Amino acid sequence: MSLELLLIIAFGGAIVTYLLGKISCRIREGFAVLISLSLVVMIACLYGENGTESIYFHFLGLPLIMRTNMLSWFFAMAVSALGALSVIFSLNYMKNRERTDFYYLMLLMVNASMLGIIFSGDLISFFIFWEMMSWSTFLLISYNRGPAVAAGLKYIIMSIIGSMAMLVGVLSLYATYETLNMATLAELIGSASSGYLLFLLIIFSIAFAIKNALMPLHTWLPAAYAEAPTPFNGVLSGMLTRMGMYGFLLIMYVIVGATRALNLGSGLFKFHYILAWLGAITIVIPTFIAILQDDAKKLLAWSAVGQGGYMIVGIAVGTNLGLSGGIFHTLNHAIYIVLLFMCVGAIQYRTGGERDLNSLGGFIKKMPFTFIGTLLGISGLVGIPLTNGFVSKWLIYKTLILEGYPFLAFAALIGTWGCILYCYKFIHHIFLGQLPGKYQNVQKAPFSMLLPMIILSFAILFFGILPGIPLKIIDTIGTSFGFKSMNVTIWGIASETGTLNTINIFAAVLIVSIIAWLMLKIGPKAVSVAQEDTYAAGAAIPKDKYHYTVDFYNPLYRMITPYLKDFIDAFYMKFAHWIQSLCNGTRRVYTGYVGNYVMYIVLFLALLIFIRLKWSL
Amino acid sequence: MDDAGLFSGGPNPILLVVVPLGFAFALPLIGFVSKKILKYIPVGVFMFNLVVALRLLPLVLKQPILVEIGGFSPPFCINLVAGPVGILFSALIALAGLLVAVYTLVYIKEGPEEKYHILYLLLLTAATGVVLTGDIFNLFVFFEILCISSYTLVAYVGNRAGIESSVKYLIQGAVGSSLLLIGIGLLYGLFGTLNMADLARQIVSVGSSSAFIPMAFMITGLGIEAAIFPLNSWLPDAHSSAPSSVSAILSGIAIEVGLYAVVRILFTLFGLSSFFLFFVFLGVLTLLIGEMCAFSQNNIKRMLAYSSIGQIGLILFAFAIATAYAVTGGLFQMISHTLGKGLLFLAAGYMIVRSGSMEISSLKGMGKRMPLTALAFTIGAFSLVGLPPFIGFPSKFLIIRSALAEEALIFNILIGLILLGTVIEGAYFFRVVQVIYFQKENEHQKRHEAPVAALIPMFLFMIAIVAIGIYPKLVTGILDSAASELLDRVDYIRSVIQ
Repeated sequence: MSLELLLIIAFGGAIVTYLLGKISCRIREGFAVLISLSLVVMIACLYGENGTESIYFHFLGLPLIMRTNMLSWFFAMAVSALGALSVIFSLNYMKNRERTDFYYLMLLMVNASMLGIIFSGDLISFFIFWEMMSWSTFLLISYNRGPAVAAGLKYIIMSIIGSMAMLVGVLSLYATYETLNMATLAELIGSASSGYLLFLLIIFSIAFAIKNALMPLHTWLPAAYAEAPTPFNGVLSGMLTRMGMYGFLLIMYVIVGATRALNLGSGLFKFHYILAWLGAITIVIPTFIAILQDDAKKLLAWSAVGQGGYMIVGIAVGTNLGLSGGIFHTLNHAIYIVLLFMCVGAIQYRTGGERDLNSLGGFIKKMPFTFIGTLLGISGLVGIPLTNGFVSKWLIYKTLILEGYPFLAFAALIGTWGCILYCYKFIHHIFLGQLPGKYQNVQKAPFSMLLPMIILSFAILFFGILPGIPLKIIDTIGTSFGFKSMNVTIWGIASETGTLNTINIFAAVLIVSIIAWLMLKIGPKAVSVAQEDTYAAGAAIPKDKYHYTVDFYNPLYRMITPYLKDFIDAFYMKFAHWIQSLCNGTRRVYTGYVGNYVMYIVLFLALLIFIRLKWSL
Repeated sequence: MDDAGLFSGGPNPILLVVVPLGFAFALPLIGFVSKKILKYIPVGVFMFNLVVALRLLPLVLKQPILVEIGGFSPPFCINLVAGPVGILFSALIALAGLLVAVYTLVYIKEGPEEKYHILYLLLLTAATGVVLTGDIFNLFVFFEILCISSYTLVAYVGNRAGIESSVKYLIQGAVGSSLLLIGIGLLYGLFGTLNMADLARQIVSVGSSSAFIPMAFMITGLGIEAAIFPLNSWLPDAHSSAPSSVSAILSGIAIEVGLYAVVRILFTLFGLSSFFLFFVFLGVLTLLIGEMCAFSQNNIKRMLAYSSIGQIGLILFAFAIATAYAVTGGLFQMISHTLGKGLLFLAAGYMIVRSGSMEISSLKGMGKRMPLTALAFTIGAFSLVGLPPFIGFPSKFLIIRSALAEEALIFNILIGLILLGTVIEGAYFFRVVQVIYFQKENEHQKRHEAPVAALIPMFLFMIAIVAIGIYPKLVTGILDSAASELLDRVDYIRSVIQ
């Protein structure tokens, strides 16, 4: 299976889907699903192929190379699988919306460009696909109109800033080594000075940190996540944002190499140490901002920023446990955040786009499958044992404690506490509490939405109970970076520093739940009453206002709100305004009077002669 | 005038100038026969020119073709030097001329059409003449034709804004022309010749610094048409009040021809390499001013006009680095700008016709009303920002690469500024794309696409943008030899004066 064919199918499929949409919606949707599923199968078939390099094109005299290894297989698999699920989820969600042809074209295009990024064996094709991903994402984020327009603009401007930084890095590598082949660069770069490596890492980090929403470059993400079409949120939050992670792995461990990358700088000011601290800050602050959100999608968006911090901390610590934790967390987070966004999408689909947490409630009986999906999703997000999030967080905690980073570990723990708070708020506000009267007739989510949700829920448990399967692959990636192997078993990790064995946990949970079930069975039966049948100290409360979720966590809000203004965003906006007024000022150069213009001409001539006389050039 | 020994089978390059010029003068006579046929003549003429230029292209890559007018050999006559640069530009002019002429078939419906077509032919004849000529005074003559037909075309709509900006343009252009003429006069007084190769040879022998004053005059004079800051004040007014088809040519061809003349004079005539750093700065300054002004515009055509200034700045920056890579990048950027800006003006033209206003905010909902035109605009915008897989990416890539290869701190700072300019450029282009597709439209309007004759040229522009963007090899071969022609002074002199 050649990679060229894969990319041709991915990109060609996107365009054909668009054209088919002109004929019939049904055919288009069928074809979109077919293409995305066939990509999953094709990539799955690539398993184990390593280092196949092929030059498929020459661009400005630079060979464009595709290659596959375990790292790219891992990411490609996640991209294509989540992409396929998002396409399936879109089928119902996007029905009867405007410009669906365009939507599917861009969705498949984003997926195709991500595959391009992942399989690129040289930095120029990496950059090309990266840019294509950026602009197609921009078009999709803006799709919803209204506030989405501003969000899209913010995204693309930050994204261009990042890619310009990357372009400088790429071209500086080319100017120094005359090649952009990653494998060759990795060999040649050994002789580079530390200063140059530091420059490279920083300049690439700008691009990747913007994409991965690492503080203080995260400001595009909350608005973009909140305003993008919900099925696309899956792709956006699950994998697209994590292309930044892929980039970090690529530049730190593939190109620069672990030994050099982990020894840049001195003392506390080592590059990877600072990166880890930025990750820790990214865990703490956005997590608490997430608690304050009343918009379901914004809550998840801030949560995604925070979870990105765990991944960065994991890979920046630079141990085999941390690296595996970081990579595994990328996958896990993708799975449950896509699931949670799909749950929000299902709710939105059935309620006509409602995503304000305060006006939802009591959906547990109306949409039970969505509830179970959400429950599993937040369990993964919090990191409850037997879900996948537990394993990756365990790995990260473990390595932070073992390597002696108590403050980082503490930050990670605070993040988890905050995470529990907003997760509870999320599930409570939507599914528990009172069902507002207008949603009495809400239906279950349609099958095309439930199917991806069920698959993802299953994946959360599967990777939680049998973490060895993905960890084996991740361990291969780690060893290819030059780290020590982790001794992975199917149930977890067996090592001298600490053992993770999910089978014990599984057995314990099983026994406890059997006991609990028995106790419920023995105890008295519950009595069902109408939802308004509640004791309210004799006062009659209007039904509509009977929703006690408003001002949830109020004392906590009052405590933390003053500290959690997004001052970074405010600073950027101020800077943007400043640039704008600077531009307005510049325009005054063109006064509109011809006399001034002729004066400019004469002055220019005088300047030329002056320069000549002054420096006698 | 025809010396069979000089060409091996190809058509005579002089046809590129003579045919459009002849038809420009024949047009009123043809008008007596049939008024309807008039507008098809530019299409036919530029089709012919394109074919001739493309047939000449492989020949001139081997060896430049010299046309001696009047049968005397240089330096005693006016001669045309059809090297890779000249033919490359001729082909570009013919291509843009052809596509815009097709667009004009439906776009220009009112006013003195006959005169429009005459002036249009003259404008592009002059542009072709400037890039082909080997004689400095001949260059001046063609330049005057170019400028005068531009002044007139700018005022074609006949409204107040058009006439006002045309007069402003005329005044500045006249100052420029006189400066250019003074420069040429001084040169003639110093060296007694007007042939560019001969002048270059004599300047080499006496040292370029002795001819500084004429150079300063000529650069300033030509710099006005080339839209180098601060000589470009006429441009935003002129480009925005001209009919869109003319704006496409003025932005895509006229200012680039002006810049070509500046570069030709700097490189070939004077070779004053100590001054290049100044032009590097000037290029970055022009770029930043252009992009920043474009950012604060609410008028779509003024925005595009300012963006042209920005692009010219980038091209000037590339040329002033004066390495083979950089000049290739500059030439590439010229092609990319001609295609991209041409497409943008054509697309904006019909969007303005449909919405009835040049305000950016009035383009709301164009994505639905005119989907194909909106797509054309988007592709043009993405290409100019430099996003893959469009032509703007390889050209910008080449320029940044060549600037980084300089490995001087000052260049790194300048690259930073250029990339900042790109970010600003991205900001305003993406904003317009969002207005077209994603702003809530005021009322539901019915689909009303541009006519087919206007869509065909846009479509061809798009194909060219994507094709070269994906496969830059289509042009890099020609660009490489064009760059070496521009950089290699001695070779130019030798090829003209045997």
